[in-house]
Amino acid sequence: MKLALNTVKTLGLSLVLASTFIAQPVLANGPIGEHVNHLKENLKDYSDDVEWMINKVDIMVSDYESKGAKAVKSDDLIEYWESVKFHSAIETNYVPVYASIWQSIYGIKMAIDDKKPAAEVRTHQKALNAALWQGLGAVKLAADFQQKGLLKAVKATASEEMTQSATIDEIKHKLDRVVAKYAERLSDEATQIVHDTYLHLFEGVEGTLIEKDAKLVEVLEKDFNVTLPKAISDKGSVDQVRAVVVDMQEKLDRAKVLLEEAEKARKDVF
Amino acid sequence: MKRRTFIQGLAAFGVVGAMPLPLSRAFAASAASPVSVKDLPALEGDLTLYLGRGEGGLYENVLQSIEKNNPKLNLSIRRGPTAALGNMIVAEAKAGVKRADLFWAVDSGAIGLITDAGLAKPLPSDLAAQLQPQFRYPGWAPVTGRIRTLPYNTKRLSKDDIPDSIMAIADSDLSIGWAPAYASFQSFVTAMRILEGEDKTAKWLKKVQKRSKTYAGELGVVMAVERGEVDIGFANHYYTLRLKSGKPDANLDLAFTNQDAGCLVNASGVLSLTDNPNAMNFMRYLLSSEVQSYLAREAYEIPLIQGIEQPAGLPALTDVSPPKIDLTQLADLRPTLDLMRSSGVL
Repeated sequence: MKLALNTVKTLGLSLVLASTFIAQPVLANGPIGEHVNHLKENLKDYSDDVEWMINKVDIMVSDYESKGAKAVKSDDLIEYWESVKFHSAIETNYVPVYASIWQSIYGIKMAIDDKKPAAEVRTHQKALNAALWQGLGAVKLAADFQQKGLLKAVKATASEEMTQSATIDEIKHKLDRVVAKYAERLSDEATQIVHDTYLHLFEGVEGTLIEKDAKLVEVLEKDFNVTLPKAISDKGSVDQVRAVVVDMQEKLDRAKVLLEEAEKARKDVF
Repeated sequence: MKRRTFIQGLAAFGVVGAMPLPLSRAFAASAASPVSVKDLPALEGDLTLYLGRGEGGLYENVLQSIEKNNPKLNLSIRRGPTAALGNMIVAEAKAGVKRADLFWAVDSGAIGLITDAGLAKPLPSDLAAQLQPQFRYPGWAPVTGRIRTLPYNTKRLSKDDIPDSIMAIADSDLSIGWAPAYASFQSFVTAMRILEGEDKTAKWLKKVQKRSKTYAGELGVVMAVERGEVDIGFANHYYTLRLKSGKPDANLDLAFTNQDAGCLVNASGVLSLTDNPNAMNFMRYLLSSEVQSYLAREAYEIPLIQGIEQPAGLPALTDVSPPKIDLTQLADLRPTLDLMRSSGVL
């Protein structure tokens, strides 16, 4: 129970942060609809979207199972996902699950294209279904947060004051987006996010950070400029890229503590 | 009558920003030394600031203190990348809209966009008089400076091994770290292009490229120098000071060139776009001894007003010999990017 409560708290915090720091929400698949600022009113549609998606994928996998690869068009999987409103609802509210959904969609598609056994396709389908339901849960929670005024509207520009420690949260969120874009097979976009995050966000905090822990900055510099771009260009699995990101996020947690200490120690300007 | 009361009185009549010249000059004469915020008029009413993202949260801390000490000030802030805000101000002016009273930019290039478009209000002489003479401009006030430097690895080199001419660096046998995609580096190349011409700059870029290793940012350059991956680097001064602060035994020191782009002093800056008297008075806060000292202490930026202590580890600004250049010319970035691309650097 305690674990479940903690998970909800973590998810809730992630939702708030994700929403707070989304700066430019025009995504690869087109602009986000205004519906993401009215989640509660659209929950029925999102729920329908998830059930429709699960059903369409199941029909495709069953056809593959019974009739073979020629009987299905695996590209339709991507069209299904891009056609539902739920897509941008989850992308704007809980990027890690969004990445998992793409990862599973491509898992199914590649298994079909490579004529893998149906059981293997079913494994990816099961992961997709779990990610879709988890995503729907996240959007429902986000809708509650939004109703209580705890979620800020998705805006075109960031206009909020941002402390250095809060910048770390945005960096972590951007890294989640890197995994999402990589899972979406948009490697160039993923690499661009890494580059922009380094130059526009990490660069702004590493000056303070290096005074606190030069070694940590050195390692993160390497992660931003070598390890993560290389993981993307090597075209490894989504899990491999995610592992690099998770490792970076753990280091960034340490960085956040140091920056918070620096902020507390800082005297008023006058 | 106390000085603060005197200035507040002037502000109430809206005359501080528009004093008749003789009085303004008389005030300027007394204001040449640093002015404390205690002696500045209280800010009251509306003010809209466009703020280019800068030194992490440090500029935010300055704004918080100004707001905290001026409870009747209604400050609206729009934040964004400096270049984007500069373009936005020009676009808004073309559309006949003036939303910003004030623009605080992290580099002088973006300031140049605004001054070239004739949108900046003239700086009162008392404000200009606080700045060191070489940093006085008619339409904007540099807030703090940063020097282009040559960080070098002290285990591999002594200062005497490093040429004091940026052009001579290209003909040396030193290995070099640089970050060509970095805005500060591009401003430095712009300065070189203006001072030395396109041909010499293109040749310099090509020669240096043969012995250089590229990094994404200039802190990366400085760390690479410290690790001994390269002998020297091109970087703003504060990266080295900060690294040495976190790692006092770092194998790192700073060298400077002489009267060329290699020791350019670039600046963040502020300008007023409207006749709102709060705008000029807000600028006075940014040039106050308290704010200048804070940015020097916390961000290692160089105070550009007279009589403020510099960050430790830097020679006095009077001992560095930067080139004479109008910093707003650094806005002319397009030919620089073209040159860097045609030279194969970008």
